[in-house]
Amino acid sequence: MHRIVAIIIIAIGAILIIVFGSLFLESSGVSSREGNEFRMNLGSEPPTLDWSLATDSVSITVIENMMEGLTRYDQNLQPQPAIAKKIEVSDHGKTYRFHLRKDVRWTDGRPVTAEDFEYSWKRLLDPKTAAEYAYFLYDIVNAYEYNTGQLKNVSQVGVKALDPWTLEVHLKKPIIYFPSITTFMVTFPQRRDLIERYGDRWTDPAHLVTNGPFKLKEWKHEYKVVLEPYGDYFEGSPRLDRVLMFVVNELNTALTLYETGDLDIDVRLPPEAIPFYQHSPEYRRIPVLRGYYYGFNVKKVPFNNVKVRQAFSMAVDREQLPRVLKGGEIPTTSWIPPGMFGHNPEIGLKFDPQRARRLLAEAGYPGGRSFPPVTAVYDTNPINNLIAENLQAQWQQNLNVQVNLENQEWKVFLKRLKTDTPMIFRLGWGADYPDPDNFMGLFTTQSGNNNTHWGNSRYDELIAKAASEPDPKRRQQMYDEAQRILTEQDVSIMPLFVVAQNILIKPYVKGLQLNAMEILSLKDVHLVR
Amino acid sequence: MIRFVLRRFLWAIPVLWVVATLTFILMQVVPGGPFDKDKPLPPEIKANVEAKYHLDRPVWQQYLIYLQSLFEGDLGPSYKYLGRDVNDIIKDSLPVSLQLGGLALGVAVMAGFLLGILAVVKPYSWIDRSGMFMATAGISIPNFVVGALLILFLSHLYKFFPPALWEGWRHAILPALTLGLGPAAFIARLLRSSILETLHQDFVRTARAKGLGEGVILLKHVLKNSVTPAVTFLGPLTATLVTGSFIVEYIFAIPGMGKFFITAVTNRDYPLIMGVTLVYAVIILLANLLVDITYAYLDPRVRVE
Repeated sequence: MHRIVAIIIIAIGAILIIVFGSLFLESSGVSSREGNEFRMNLGSEPPTLDWSLATDSVSITVIENMMEGLTRYDQNLQPQPAIAKKIEVSDHGKTYRFHLRKDVRWTDGRPVTAEDFEYSWKRLLDPKTAAEYAYFLYDIVNAYEYNTGQLKNVSQVGVKALDPWTLEVHLKKPIIYFPSITTFMVTFPQRRDLIERYGDRWTDPAHLVTNGPFKLKEWKHEYKVVLEPYGDYFEGSPRLDRVLMFVVNELNTALTLYETGDLDIDVRLPPEAIPFYQHSPEYRRIPVLRGYYYGFNVKKVPFNNVKVRQAFSMAVDREQLPRVLKGGEIPTTSWIPPGMFGHNPEIGLKFDPQRARRLLAEAGYPGGRSFPPVTAVYDTNPINNLIAENLQAQWQQNLNVQVNLENQEWKVFLKRLKTDTPMIFRLGWGADYPDPDNFMGLFTTQSGNNNTHWGNSRYDELIAKAASEPDPKRRQQMYDEAQRILTEQDVSIMPLFVVAQNILIKPYVKGLQLNAMEILSLKDVHLVR
Repeated sequence: MIRFVLRRFLWAIPVLWVVATLTFILMQVVPGGPFDKDKPLPPEIKANVEAKYHLDRPVWQQYLIYLQSLFEGDLGPSYKYLGRDVNDIIKDSLPVSLQLGGLALGVAVMAGFLLGILAVVKPYSWIDRSGMFMATAGISIPNFVVGALLILFLSHLYKFFPPALWEGWRHAILPALTLGLGPAAFIARLLRSSILETLHQDFVRTARAKGLGEGVILLKHVLKNSVTPAVTFLGPLTATLVTGSFIVEYIFAIPGMGKFFITAVTNRDYPLIMGVTLVYAVIILLANLLVDITYAYLDPRVRVE
C-alpha cells in the first residue's frame, strides 16, 4: 500500500519536474554577481521611458541615468551647464541662447545637436503627443497656443536651432528659473529619425538611443531594467559594469533582498523598520523636497471663517508627527521646504493652543461649543491614517472640537477633490524642479492644484513677480510675503511636515551622491569590496 | 464529445461578450478616471490626452470602438504604461503566471492527494489527525502569512531559497509553496471525506470479499470513485492559480499577471482591466470544460452530450 502511494507521488513529481523544469532552463542560475554590478530597486515599473511622456519619479530615475540635458543640478541643487557649455541671456531675461558642447554623442555615434532639442521641445508641445508635462514649456512664446490647438504653425513656437550648436529660446516674460527647467527630463533632446521610424516602440531596448552615462541594455517589464555604461559618454565612462534596477513593489521584500545581499541599496525603508536600522552605519536619512499639508475648503462653513482656519492650524503641535511616523519627517509651518531657495522656518502659525482657543471663540465657538460637524478626508494609506488620527486627537484636546475622519481610495479621493471638495483634506507635493515657483505656484487662484477654492490677488501678483525677479534678496522678500498670506493671514492650507527619505546603503558602495530631489545619480558610483 | 466541445466553444462567445459589457459598465460607474492625478493636468492638456484615447467621445461610442478592436483581437493601449499595448502586457506576464500557477497546482494536487490518502489509510490515527491539522491550518492561514513565514525561515534564517525575484527554478519554490499549500489543504479535506464515504459502499465490501488487497481497493476502486469533488474544485482553482496571485507576486517580486487585477483597477487603466478580466474569463471557461470532460472519463454515468 505505502509502496503504491510512493510510486504515484514519485511519478507525479517526475512529470512536474520535466514539464516545469524545462520552462526554467533558459533562465536558471543568472543571479550570481558579475563584476562591478550595482543592484537597486525601482519600487515600481517605469510607466514609460519616453521623456516627453514620463511624469513619475521611477521613470525619471531611469531616464536621468541615461540622458543629459542642457543643464543639470549640482550638489546644492543649483543648475549648472551640462550639454550647454554657455548660456547667454538677453532681451531683459526673455531670450536664452544655449551654446552646445560639440563632443556630446548619442550612443549610436551621432553628435547631439540643437535640432535634437528643438525637435524634442516641439514634440512635447504637439497636441498629438498628449504630453502631460507640456505645460512646463508654457512660458515659451506661442507654446501654450500651439499645445492647445489655437496655433497650427509650429514654426512660430519660440524655440529654434540657429545652427547645430546654438539653441535659441524666446520667453513670454523673464523667467528667472528657466535654467532649472532645462534640468528637467522633458527638455532632454530627442532623435526625430528614430521616433519617426519606430513610433511608440522607440524606447524599446533595441531602438533606444541615449546620450548619458548609461545605456539601456534590457527592459523586462514589471521585473527589471538593465543598464550598461556608455563608453563614449562625454564625461568619461562610468565605473560600474552593469546596473540592475529591479521592480520590487513590496517594501519588506526589498529590505529582505538588501539583507540577503541581492540589493546594494534600499531607498525606501519600511517605516516600521526605521527604528531598527537608524543606528546602523549603513543608514542614511535625507530630507527631500516633498511637503505634506492639510487644505481647507474656504467656501464651506465653518472654514469660510479665517479665524477657524487659523485656530485649526495653531492647535496642531507638528513636533508630534515625526514621533508618530518615525520616518525623520521635519515639522514645518511654512510651505517652501528646507533645502530650497526661499525657505523661511519663521513663517507660519506656531503651536499656540491658548491663542487657538481664543480665535475659535472669536469665530463664535467658545470652548468648541456649537461647532458644526466637520469631516477631514484623506486617501487610504496607513501613514495618512496615523496623521489624521493624531490631528483629530489634537483638535479634540486643544479646541474641544470633534473632527470626523473619512478615507477614500486614491482616484475616488482625487475625483472628490474636484467635484465636492471636503472641508479638510490632505495632500502633498514633490518638487519637479528645485525652485520655489514650483511650490508656491500651486496656490495661485487659477492653479489646477489649488483645491481650496481660495484666491488672493496679492498672492498671485507676488508669485508672478517673483518668477521674474533676478535679485535674490528681493525675490526672497516676495516669497516671504506670499508665504505669510498663504499660511498666516488667509491659511488656506496648513503645512505639516517635509518628508525624509530613509535609505540603507552597503558600505562597499562608493561615490553615490544623494540629493533632495530623490533622483539616484549612478554615474560616479563604484563598488569597493 | 466533439459536438459537445464545439457547442461549449460557441457558448463562450456570448459569455465573453456579457463579461466584457459588464466590465465596461462597471468601469464607467467607478468614480475617478485614468488621468486624475495628484498633480492635476491643465484642462487643455487633459483634453489632448483624452482625445488620444477616444475618452472625449460619448460612452456608447467608446463601447463600440472597444468592441470593434476586441473583435480584431486588439485589447487596446494601456493608459498607464505608455506605448505598450494590453496584448503586449499580457503576452509578457501571462507565461510567468502560468509557470508559477502550474507549479503551485502541482504542489496543491500532490500534497492534497498525499495528505488525503494518508488520512484514510488509518482513519482517526495520529497520521490522520496530524494530516487534518495541517490541512485545517493550510486553509485558515492566509497566503501572505504563509509567504512571510517561508521567507523568514527558508530564506532569511536558513538561506535555502532566495527570498524573492524570478531568476531560475530556485526562485519559484517559495512562491509555489505559498500559492499551493492552501488549496492542497482543501483538496486533502475534500478527498478524505469523499474516500471515507466511498469506503462504506457495497462495491468495496464486494471487492474485499473477493480478496483484493487494501491498497488495490483504495487506489484502483475507491480513489477513482472519490475524486469527483476534488476535480470539481480543480477547475476554478486552475484558473485562479494560472492567472496569478496579486499577493504572492507582490511579496516575491514576480512579474506575473496577477498584480494587474488590482493595479489596473487602482490606476483606472480601463483597457488593462478589460484585458485581464477577459483572459481570466477565457481560462475559467477552458478549465471548466476540462473538468466536465474529466467527469465523463471518471464516471461513465455522466453523459457529456
